[in-house]
Amino acid sequence: MLATITRLFENDYDEDGFRTCSVTGLNIHRSAEVHVKLFGLTAVIAMIVGGLFAFSVAMTRWEVVGLIGEFEGYYRHLSMHAWNLLIFWMVFMEIAVLYVGGPIVLGRRLPLTKVAKAGWGIMVAGALAVNYFIWTLSGGSDAPLLTAYVPLDVPLGFYGGAILFLLGATVAALPFLVSIIQQKREDWNGTLPLVAFGAFVTFVIAVQAILGGIAAFSYAFIWQAGIIDTINAGIYRQLYWIIGHGSQQINLLAMITVWYFLTHVVGGAVVASEKVSRTAFIMYLFFINLGAAHHLMVDPGLSAGWRIFNTSYAFYGAAFASMIHAFAIPAGLEAGRRQRGLGGGLFGWLTSAPWKNPIFASTIFSIILFGFLGGITGVLMGQMQLNMTWHNTYATVGHFHATVALGTTLAFMGLVFFVIKTMFQRNFISDRLALLVPYGYAAAMGLASLLMVYIGILYGVPRRTSQVVSNIIGSEFSLSAAEPLFLILGPMTLLAIIVGAVFVLVAVGSLLGGSRTTESDAQALLPQGGLVPDGGSDSVHAVEMRGTFTLCLVFMAAFVTLYVLNWFLLTQLWSIGA
Amino acid sequence: MTSPLDPPDGNWWDRAVNRRETIWLGIAGAWSLGIFAWMSGFTRFGDQNPIGETYDVEPEAYAATVDTYEENAETTSTAAIEESRAPTEEERQDVLVPPSKSVYVFPRRFSWGGLPVVLEAGTEYDIHLSSADVQHGFSVRPEESLSQQINLQVFPGTEWVVPMSFDEPGTYQVICNEFCGQGHASMHGTFYVVDPAEYETVTGE
Ligand code: HEM
Ligand SMILES: [Cu+2]
Repeated sequence: MLATITRLFENDYDEDGFRTCSVTGLNIHRSAEVHVKLFGLTAVIAMIVGGLFAFSVAMTRWEVVGLIGEFEGYYRHLSMHAWNLLIFWMVFMEIAVLYVGGPIVLGRRLPLTKVAKAGWGIMVAGALAVNYFIWTLSGGSDAPLLTAYVPLDVPLGFYGGAILFLLGATVAALPFLVSIIQQKREDWNGTLPLVAFGAFVTFVIAVQAILGGIAAFSYAFIWQAGIIDTINAGIYRQLYWIIGHGSQQINLLAMITVWYFLTHVVGGAVVASEKVSRTAFIMYLFFINLGAAHHLMVDPGLSAGWRIFNTSYAFYGAAFASMIHAFAIPAGLEAGRRQRGLGGGLFGWLTSAPWKNPIFASTIFSIILFGFLGGITGVLMGQMQLNMTWHNTYATVGHFHATVALGTTLAFMGLVFFVIKTMFQRNFISDRLALLVPYGYAAAMGLASLLMVYIGILYGVPRRTSQVVSNIIGSEFSLSAAEPLFLILGPMTLLAIIVGAVFVLVAVGSLLGGSRTTESDAQALLPQGGLVPDGGSDSVHAVEMRGTFTLCLVFMAAFVTLYVLNWFLLTQLWSIGA
Repeated sequence: MTSPLDPPDGNWWDRAVNRRETIWLGIAGAWSLGIFAWMSGFTRFGDQNPIGETYDVEPEAYAATVDTYEENAETTSTAAIEESRAPTEEERQDVLVPPSKSVYVFPRRFSWGGLPVVLEAGTEYDIHLSSADVQHGFSVRPEESLSQQINLQVFPGTEWVVPMSFDEPGTYQVICNEFCGQGHASMHGTFYVVDPAEYETVTGE
């Protein structure tokens, strides 16, 4: 067993510990690669744990099955689901993304490997503690769910574990920062490659988020420890959402960085405009953290002006940035493929793309579904007044399953597949099953998210409860009109879980039993014509981008339509507010 | 060929941007400003805004206010409201008739204090929201039209006064949509909104 595991971390390196990746052509140092694998594998383990709880949660919300009653620990299950997936699966992956975006892209070793390992250790300890304190919750205390809102009686140890995990993540991110500093020292005037630049912005935003998180959980910690007597629910919420939403910005930025990376390596994308893409990243740096306020749209005590300015990321600076990437990434693909002569017409570049490559398919579905489902719903529910109709309903759950559970998770699944092929150098145990993952997951989770949104908006079904649709205890009122939609949603969530299990099967199976990749396996991953065909960078702007433009116009039409519909629905309400 | 894995060469900042990309920047930028303007304008001309005065108030002090309010309130009954008739003396207990235009809602685990209450359609009331213990979610919808629902967060220690005027008579159901502990799913309450012509009858005034 141990031998199998250590073998996973081996590759053929030269005397200096470097090797050249036969797919990306990158010069990879052992130190960086080993740690990417370490964090990536840990992430997959967290995903398995969280995924098991996706089953119990989804089968409870499907009230026909009604797996776990409210008093039989439903909220414990929901807490396990949220923390293992949203926090542990994502953040472990993000550290891996930083190490790819920094040292590996820059062709450096990972500095401070001891610090990286210590960071990993602290993160693991924190994650175990959080799991332990959720699972062993006793009668008197309350489950934290994702948010651990005070003054619920959430165990002290839980807050301690959460703080530990965040500290660990900060420690683990340090070697990345040092590698960027080293690079800049050696070549002050040089420009970072776009992927490294994206990773760097991700890092800065991550640090801001983590500091907020440490503040929030420490505030709750000293209150639970009895050091302060009272705690203010509103202040905790403001602090909490710096990490609660901030971690979603980390997810977003890491995912966008992965999009640029994977569309390039497996699709042949180029950078349509360095200036535009980098400006969009810079806009994130300034504006995206303001967006955390959109969780506070219907809170008392905050002025309307404050809420409107912040929820809009200062006049939609960050939403604008996202719409820039929404054009730039497909446009890079279109331009790169057109330059190679791959596919003419409006969409030939897209239809001729390697749709049978699970890495490519994961990336593209991630981009499309994140934008259409996650992005649009996010802006809608982030408008102060519309938020009244979305807040804490099932529609919210639909929104963030479209973003993190669908968009980001698919991108990261693609990245895991890519790492299995190129770093672990294993073939999939079954190419068919591997290909099933992006198609099956995108379809099932896409439909599930959409249904959740409908159920929330049109029937007002709340989130975070085990039973309200068929029966509200002690009341004749129920939300049973929503039952038919659950008949589709239930099976879809089940399907998504099954495909998630297939992903784990393929990933773990290939690591343990996949054949070694050969040179030709590596070549097969690359876009036709290789990674770097001829063509000057001066001419990218002159390549046709009408396919992307058309797609973006379709996106905008959907956006406008849904915007108008949502506002129409809102104005049907009775009058509310001063 | 520009790759996201290599440093861009030459003067990349001054390189031309594709014409369609430029147009898209214009569209996306205009839309961003447009939806900002709409959201902020709606606070001036719109009728649905989650805006109201807030005050710091200890749960005990708020509880005392609610006590006084309830003492001053008349009561009527669900049956009377449903049958559009005056309540009998024995019936009068389960539904509050607010003594003024201030209506107090006081959630605690796991019930809605202050509810049920009977209101007059088309009249503006000040709905006071504050919690006795943990955070709760004030989630309201008319029984017959589930898609017309709104949600507001309720804190302990803060009193939020949100004016509302229910235009349509009907039964408005309240549930809690913020997790407040085991038992949370059973929290429910009711606003009975009646036609002004019937209000005096059903409240027995
Ligand atoms: C097959 C996959 C999945 C299914 C079927 C699923 C299902 C669900 C359902 C039904 C809920 C709502 C429960 C409620 O409010 O009562 C939920 C909540 C949640 N899920 Fe998932 N989920 C899946 C994957 C994921 C992934 C991959 C992530 C994160 C990356 C995620 C993050 C969350 C979070 C953060 C919550 C909210 C917890 C809270 O309210 O505190 N889920 N999930
Ligand atoms: Cu409650």
